[in-house]
Amino acid sequence: MPCLVIDRVSKSFGGVKALDAASFSLDAGELVGLIGPNGSGKTTLINILSGHLAADSGSVALDDEPISGLRPEVLARRGVLRMFQLTRAFPRMSALDNLLVAGCALGLPQHEAHARALGLIEDLRLTRIMHLDAAQLSGGQLKLLEFGSCFMVPPRIALLDEPFAAVHPTLKEIMAGFIRRRHAAGQTFLLVSHDMPVIVELCPRTVCMNAGRVIADEATRAVLADPVVIEAYLGEAAI
Amino acid sequence: MLTLDLLINGLIIGVFYALMAIGLSLIFGILKVVNFAHGEFYMVGAYAYTLSALMLGVSPWLALPLAFVVGLVVGVVVERLLMRPLYSGYTSWGSIRDEYAVIVTFALSIFLINVVDKVVGPFAYRGPPLVDVSRIAIGPILISGHRLIAAVVAIAVIVVVALAIRYSYWGRQIQAVSQNRLGASLAGIDTAKASAIVFALAGGLAAVSGALLANIFNPTPDVGVFPAIKSYVIVVLGGMGSVPGSIVASLVLGVLESFGGVYISYQYRDTFGLLILILFLLFRPQGLFGEKAREV
Amino acid sequence: MAGGIGTGDRLRAEFVASLVILLLVAVLPAFVTNAYWQGVVVVSMYFALLAVAWNILAGYTGQFSLAPAAFGMIGAYTTGLLSYYYGTGAAIGVPAAIIVSGGIGLALGRIVLRLRGPYLALTTLSFAEIMRLVISNSIDFTRGDLGLNVLGIFEERLAYYYLILAVLFAVQAGLYYLLRARAGLYLRAIRDDEIAAASRGVKIVWWKTFAFTLSAAICGLAGALYGHFAQFVSPELGLLSQTGIVISMVVIGGLGTLVGPVGGALLVYVLSEFLRDVGNAQLVVFAFLVIVFARFFRQGLWGLLLAAVGFWRARPVAPSPAAK
Repeated sequence: MPCLVIDRVSKSFGGVKALDAASFSLDAGELVGLIGPNGSGKTTLINILSGHLAADSGSVALDDEPISGLRPEVLARRGVLRMFQLTRAFPRMSALDNLLVAGCALGLPQHEAHARALGLIEDLRLTRIMHLDAAQLSGGQLKLLEFGSCFMVPPRIALLDEPFAAVHPTLKEIMAGFIRRRHAAGQTFLLVSHDMPVIVELCPRTVCMNAGRVIADEATRAVLADPVVIEAYLGEAAI
Repeated sequence: MLTLDLLINGLIIGVFYALMAIGLSLIFGILKVVNFAHGEFYMVGAYAYTLSALMLGVSPWLALPLAFVVGLVVGVVVERLLMRPLYSGYTSWGSIRDEYAVIVTFALSIFLINVVDKVVGPFAYRGPPLVDVSRIAIGPILISGHRLIAAVVAIAVIVVVALAIRYSYWGRQIQAVSQNRLGASLAGIDTAKASAIVFALAGGLAAVSGALLANIFNPTPDVGVFPAIKSYVIVVLGGMGSVPGSIVASLVLGVLESFGGVYISYQYRDTFGLLILILFLLFRPQGLFGEKAREV
Repeated sequence: MAGGIGTGDRLRAEFVASLVILLLVAVLPAFVTNAYWQGVVVVSMYFALLAVAWNILAGYTGQFSLAPAAFGMIGAYTTGLLSYYYGTGAAIGVPAAIIVSGGIGLALGRIVLRLRGPYLALTTLSFAEIMRLVISNSIDFTRGDLGLNVLGIFEERLAYYYLILAVLFAVQAGLYYLLRARAGLYLRAIRDDEIAAASRGVKIVWWKTFAFTLSAAICGLAGALYGHFAQFVSPELGLLSQTGIVISMVVIGGLGTLVGPVGGALLVYVLSEFLRDVGNAQLVVFAFLVIVFARFFRQGLWGLLLAAVGFWRARPVAPSPAAK
């Protein structure tokens, strides 16, 4: 049962074609990896899915309802939550408040948001710093915080844009474990990453993009062995 | 010939506007902020010109470059002292650097206006004309000698500056920093120095504008307020950061005001620009020539 | 702020501090019986309301408008014109001022939704100047620069004093409860990072418009009250330099805090009266202070006070014998 359907989405910036009729779909409960060399259009696609950019053509549907062109806050309330590649948090609010914003904005009553936030903070090992302003947190802690914000209210689909980039292995383990547990409980993920071992470990299926197009969409191990994919990354056929 | 007269006058006033607008546009290009104290650079130049001529007995033709230098100095000092937090990495203003610039330059504007009011006094002086010919006839038009010569000087300055930005060594550095600060610094350009140069130049140009117009708009402490508002309009109209855009928009505004003042309403002629500003900010913030910025 | 102080505690501390200030103002007339100085405090409370209103927009939502004085002028003229043409008093004029200012604020707020930083500042500046020029030039309707006489409310100056103090208290208390609730979370999130706030589901359009409308309404209220106190209104109320004073009060007091605007307004305005005797140098001094504070002490006087307290608390204590 497809949860998210991306149908021939294209986007150009001036003369540069960032997305070229990209198409694939996700079923509910899937954990799909999205890989591709730099500049392949992954972040542009995420931006379009989360409403921060409008596609030039093509359509996106969530649970059979078209969502192209809706504003980010509307999509968030429909259950499309995302992480940003360059971590975004609220620097002058405490870590706890950062999570509360996400919870309350998505409809949780205050006491419940508070309880869930505390739970997430425990899960993500952020208890010690939960009252510090986000501006005082380390890069890794901020990433965990943004990560947690996506799960205050379990989203219909979580778009994770390079959550493991430049993150300490311990924090990576915390996030990976979290993703594994939630996935087992039925959470749908689209995981953008360059970290191949984690993609292999977590994602049964992977989509590979290059130059704005989808060039592979199959089981992860098959994708990584696919000569087209290897050529996209290395620029030549594998020996 | 009323129409031609209005047109010429409009173009001439537009040329003076351009002197101010270019500097403001450059500042926006390089620091991405609007300098709310720009009118006071104009005012400082007007006073430097007028007072040095009247009190020190200097010839107006010497007072003019003197005003330019004073403007340069004020620009550099402001940049060094106040604009650092805009690009020096960590600051307590962090994510709202734009707002810091608004507050600081707005406060600076009020500070300068009132300091001059206290030190020099609120009485208006009359800036001496560059030439003492009151009426020159050009074809069917009668124009004051000073206005004509001042316009010629202004055009010359604009041309020199535009060429310098385009082709000179520092001009190209400035263009690079305006387009991509990080990239430019990685390429070895001294971005702090580029910012200082831009501010100095903007100060100098505005000061020259004030000096040239001192004969027409007598220097008072708040003489720079209206020209500043006009330059905000122009910079948005022409596209923030675009020098050619500012020049074109200045001429357009000058002519619009000239005709509007006669045919629509003299009383409200200052509001035309403001209305245009609002309309552009809402519907076409990149102006006529600017580029749309990417957000995410 | 260092760990241990949650945001809720911070807000409460600020609110309590502002209550202390208001309490001091309440008992002041027992010591200061000079009517002129009482009047000075009344005017400073007018500015305090404007400052609180501007702080909602700039300090809590991140929208740096240059129009607070203009909205004050609009409120003042609403009640002034009603008083001039229909002889109505404050009972009708003040609510009308709130509605008119709030309504215009709503419209302007919707218009400037997508603007940030200098673009927002320029638009609100243009709006403010256009409003002032329109009022100033519509001589037939508004008597222009001659101003309007407005009916007073009370005979006693002290009655005005306590009325405006009560209003200020009500606004502060209302704001405190607002900020403690979800609204506080959303506004601050919008201020800190609008894009992130949107991606978390915060209704950006709604809350930015709300803040703008509320701010304009409070400014209108302040202007109307001032009009009835001074029994006179003029376009000078809407001058950009008046907005400059409001901004300076908030920045010096502490931008984005609950106590900064109130404390800053009282301090700045009362001080300015002293400076009036010293060669009328108020604006010079305050503009200078704003620059210094913005450049070096972003947290304002409140922030300095907290830093001093924190510094004092963290001072090294001699180790007790048991520690050895």
